[in-house]
Amino acid sequence: MTTPGEVLLKVDDLTVEFDTPHGPVRAVDGVSWQVRAGETLAILGESGSGKSVSTQALTGILEMPPGRIVSGTAEYRGADLIAMTVKERRKIVGDRITMVFQDSLSALNPVQSVGTQIAECYRVHRGLSKKDALKRAAEMLDQVRIPAAARRVRDYPHEFSGGMRQRVMLAMALALDPDVLIADEPTTALDVTVQAQILELIADLQAERDMGVVLITHDLGVVSDVADNVVVMYAGHVVERASTAEALDHPVHPYTEGLLGSMPSADLKGQELPTIPGTPPSLRAIPSGCAFRTRCPMAIDECAKEVPPLLTVAPGRDAACILRTSISEREAV
Amino acid sequence: MIRFILRRILAAIPIGLIVTLGVFALVFAMPGDPLRELAGDKPIPAAVLAAKRAQYHLDDPFIVQYLLSMKDMFTGHFGTTFAGADIADQLRLRIPVTLKLATLGLVFQWIAGLLFGLYAGFKRNGVMDRLLLLATLVVLAVPGLVLYFTGQYLFGVELKWLPVSGTRDGWPMSYLLPAICIGITGFAGLARLTRTSIVDTANSDFVKTARAKGLGEQRILWRHVLPNALLPVVTLMGIDFAGIFAGAVLAESIFNLPGLGQFMFQAIKLKEGGVVVLLSTLAFLMFILINLAVDVIYGAIDPRVRNV
Ligand SMILES: Nc1ncnc2c1ncn2[C@@H]1O[C@H](COP(=O)(O)OP(=O)(O)O)[C@@H](O)[C@H]1O
Ligand code: SF4
Ligand SMILES: [Mg+2]
Repeated sequence: MTTPGEVLLKVDDLTVEFDTPHGPVRAVDGVSWQVRAGETLAILGESGSGKSVSTQALTGILEMPPGRIVSGTAEYRGADLIAMTVKERRKIVGDRITMVFQDSLSALNPVQSVGTQIAECYRVHRGLSKKDALKRAAEMLDQVRIPAAARRVRDYPHEFSGGMRQRVMLAMALALDPDVLIADEPTTALDVTVQAQILELIADLQAERDMGVVLITHDLGVVSDVADNVVVMYAGHVVERASTAEALDHPVHPYTEGLLGSMPSADLKGQELPTIPGTPPSLRAIPSGCAFRTRCPMAIDECAKEVPPLLTVAPGRDAACILRTSISEREAV
Repeated sequence: MIRFILRRILAAIPIGLIVTLGVFALVFAMPGDPLRELAGDKPIPAAVLAAKRAQYHLDDPFIVQYLLSMKDMFTGHFGTTFAGADIADQLRLRIPVTLKLATLGLVFQWIAGLLFGLYAGFKRNGVMDRLLLLATLVVLAVPGLVLYFTGQYLFGVELKWLPVSGTRDGWPMSYLLPAICIGITGFAGLARLTRTSIVDTANSDFVKTARAKGLGEQRILWRHVLPNALLPVVTLMGIDFAGIFAGAVLAESIFNLPGLGQFMFQAIKLKEGGVVVLLSTLAFLMFILINLAVDVIYGAIDPRVRNV
């Protein structure tokens, strides 16, 4: 059992590189965050910013090589997942920490019935008999509100719609009552109404279990709907960390500001969406100093000198921008 | 399921007719007079020649010859060869020879292909993986004929480990060398596909899911990677099976085994259209049956393909 508000997963200074034919590239650079019981932490960033790589590295499911963890710790209730042996980690990842992925069609084994795949969790981690495991699988399908669950356990992934299949993924991830759920863009492939249903389902199941949820997304709307706190990533770096309300009302980092500008909101309806000009840098050519400076509307020469450190600008608010952190700190005095 | 099978068989009939007609036309178009070639330099009495020509419908138009051959075949009147041998007897003697050779060759091919492919796939970029790539290139570059003759010379003539030719040493000794040759020419493709399929499947999303479930590597391999990786392999094994008879024709001729392949070879040389069509039809039937079996098996192992 977790205690309310307990820190369940604490990631510190995680750095991940890939060895490529053109030399190593750094996909994740000094990332830190934590998630508490009952909390939903959103990791927000454009595609390629290192959201998936960072979570896959700390759970040990990243293909290594070519990936390589350069530094960092990821403590599940005090035990470092990165330092422990594969065997020890398997008792936590898959049992206490579970994951769902974006594309449920390719993320489920196409030649096994969904029941068998859910039952596998009970068989491997709890040693249940085949029959009992299948019974529990059917119960899980029912809990994620799949109609006629008892019959559908025997169906194969391709026989479900996208939304229903994502529920199957959730059923599998929640089968063992995990403490932390890492959901990597769970609704990106779904249309808007189904997306809302899945997010609501996650929220309901989270409330029942007092589970910590790490929700990876590139959609600010999703963040504002469900996240308590948000970590904004850009080119492998954390550039801002704040409660969702603070981040949306007073973004500190120019990148967060830019993302907010690109969110469809009431007063922008009918107008062209402003987007941040330019594209994220390639990992092989990350700009010196602040990685965002090539797209930042207020960049100055100073920004090219060194990587801006992530500084606390207010309690529970961190940002990595030389202009904003110094101004805010001055204001804070 | 029954309807699926019936539908496939019905669809095969017109294809079968076209194939056999095509084969018959090819034989018909070959230069030379069949009976004269059979007789060689000896003169044949005009009356005998005329009787023979009538017996084999050689003076009828092409399409009539074809239809008469088909009629004979389907009514079970296989008749005799130009040289006078009873064709039904020939089939009885020769079918077992070809079956033994093909089965043994196929077993070698499948076992070698699967073993090397699985091993290379599990230990990708290891020594065996690289050796396999090299072996594949060699087998693909060297023509089958060269390989057969080399095998025959090396193991039959020089080392004398196995019989050079003929069936005097019986099953399985006489069949080992040609079957090994068939296996070597065919295993590389299967091994490469198996290896590639395993590597591709190991990188798929559902394997990532399996890891995220905290499963052990062995369980991931046997329960998640292999059942998916072997799907395309089953298809290729079926194609290999259907194609094994082509290898058998070559092997029977070189190793002098009295099977159907050798029979076919002689019939083509003598322009015996009837025999050629009969053997082609047999091969075609075999081909259809094997493909049907592959589809049925595939439907059973891949839930996304249900043959209703
Ligand atoms: N196997 C790999 N080899 C090299 N680079 C990789 C590999 N996997 C991911 N990357 C790079 O890591 C970066 C972060 O990827 P990812 O974490 O998937 O982004 P996202 O934030 O969209 O989830 C991307 O630029 C991607 O190109
Ligand atoms: S450090 Fe400079 S470039 Fe980077 S976000 Fe701040 S102002 Fe923009
Ligand atoms: Mg991603």
